[in-house]
Amino acid sequence: MLGDFLRERREALREGDRRYSLRQVAQRVGVEPSFLSKVERGESPPPSEDTLRRLAGELALDADTVLALAGKVSSDLQEVIRRRPMLFAALIRELKDLPDQAVLRLVREVRDGDW
Amino acid sequence: MIELRGDSLVFSFPEVHPDARLEVDLQRTLRIPDDGRNHALPPGLGSFPLRHVDDHAARLPAEWVRRGGVMLPMYQAEALWIRFRSPTGYPFAVKVATGKINAVTGEPWREGLNRGPQDYVAVPGQPWLDGYVVEKGFIRQFVAMPLGAGYTAEEQVTGAAEHGGLQVMALPLKREAWERLVAERAEQARKAPPMPRFAAAAAPASASMAMGLGAGGRMKQEIYRDTMPLEDWDLRASSRCFVHIANSLVWRSVTGTEPPTVPPTAEEYTRAGLPWFDYYAEGRTAVEGSGILAAIKSVLTLGKEKGDVPLPENVPVEPVHVVPLHEKPAGATVHEEVF
Repeated sequence: MLGDFLRERREALREGDRRYSLRQVAQRVGVEPSFLSKVERGESPPPSEDTLRRLAGELALDADTVLALAGKVSSDLQEVIRRRPMLFAALIRELKDLPDQAVLRLVREVRDGDW
Repeated sequence: MIELRGDSLVFSFPEVHPDARLEVDLQRTLRIPDDGRNHALPPGLGSFPLRHVDDHAARLPAEWVRRGGVMLPMYQAEALWIRFRSPTGYPFAVKVATGKINAVTGEPWREGLNRGPQDYVAVPGQPWLDGYVVEKGFIRQFVAMPLGAGYTAEEQVTGAAEHGGLQVMALPLKREAWERLVAERAEQARKAPPMPRFAAAAAPASASMAMGLGAGGRMKQEIYRDTMPLEDWDLRASSRCFVHIANSLVWRSVTGTEPPTVPPTAEEYTRAGLPWFDYYAEGRTAVEGSGILAAIKSVLTLGKEKGDVPLPENVPVEPVHVVPLHEKPAGATVHEEVF
């Protein structure tokens, strides 16, 4: 799924710009063309988070989406969850079925205390 | 409910009416001289940064966390004014206190609204509040001083340095009163454009943590009498916020971000030919000043008595460029600037 997604995107870009050939993209991202080819065909396990981020940047894709397709969660988000695992696990489960517009309406209130 | 949007406190009351939204921001400004003269309105130099107290709880005194709310950084002797904006024209009664002393009446903090004397400002008629209402048509500018040094209004009125900071509470008009108002007014008269009171260009120019506000120089500013029937205000729907004032010198160690730069002096600003402001609202009546607040000694006066120099400078100024701002009469809330 990740492979198809990356290949379709790269080939769509290549139609308008030859710099998006497999070889040139691999070179700019810093991997062997054969490796990128295997990733696109789903024959290799997903690359590291850094490589995926560089690929996302090169192909103008959202890095979190690319990481999710690779079965990964961005390290900064992992850190957020690790700090308060129960709170964020509960929050994510609570939000999982809400439509986007409902999630976007979540606001943080200024807390009024005792004075 | 209150949210932080950028550096504005946004009060909203969706349970009362979707139009019931009030923006309050705390403007940086220059300190007017305390020279016995009545000055024009100084400019806004941008909002003070506001942060949730809860986000920095580990580095803050326990009583700040207990009170909740937000915090902002000020330098000693820096001045502040409060801007009120109701984007839809929805009316609000807003109570403002410093150190839990009401800035309009000088009385201790009370919930609810009172008319004898009026202890709140009525928005949108009142676009801003710059200080303590010491006399009908005159205020003394809010000036930050360390809490505990005896200069704040709170310490002078109560004898104690307990709260500091600034407290704001807003109450909306009742839904049915608003709907009546809307029906009475033409649709185009409802929306109040922002009132420009800003400098053309923002000229930049013992660290105990908690600050309070004391009285600075005198300024011409009327606090308008509320013309709504008292029973039209929705007393069940108030929201309030404690705004802590942190000394700018410790702001960075608490938040990891830089405080704004020191504002220019009134002399530097005036010499640069930048505008001061004068505000007229025809057909409105000003409330009387507070005897309690009139008896508060200004920071300068108290400093002299103590043998201190609490203000870094206090050079008289003679503004040549005063921009009149004007509110239309006949109850319309359209604001118009007249240059």
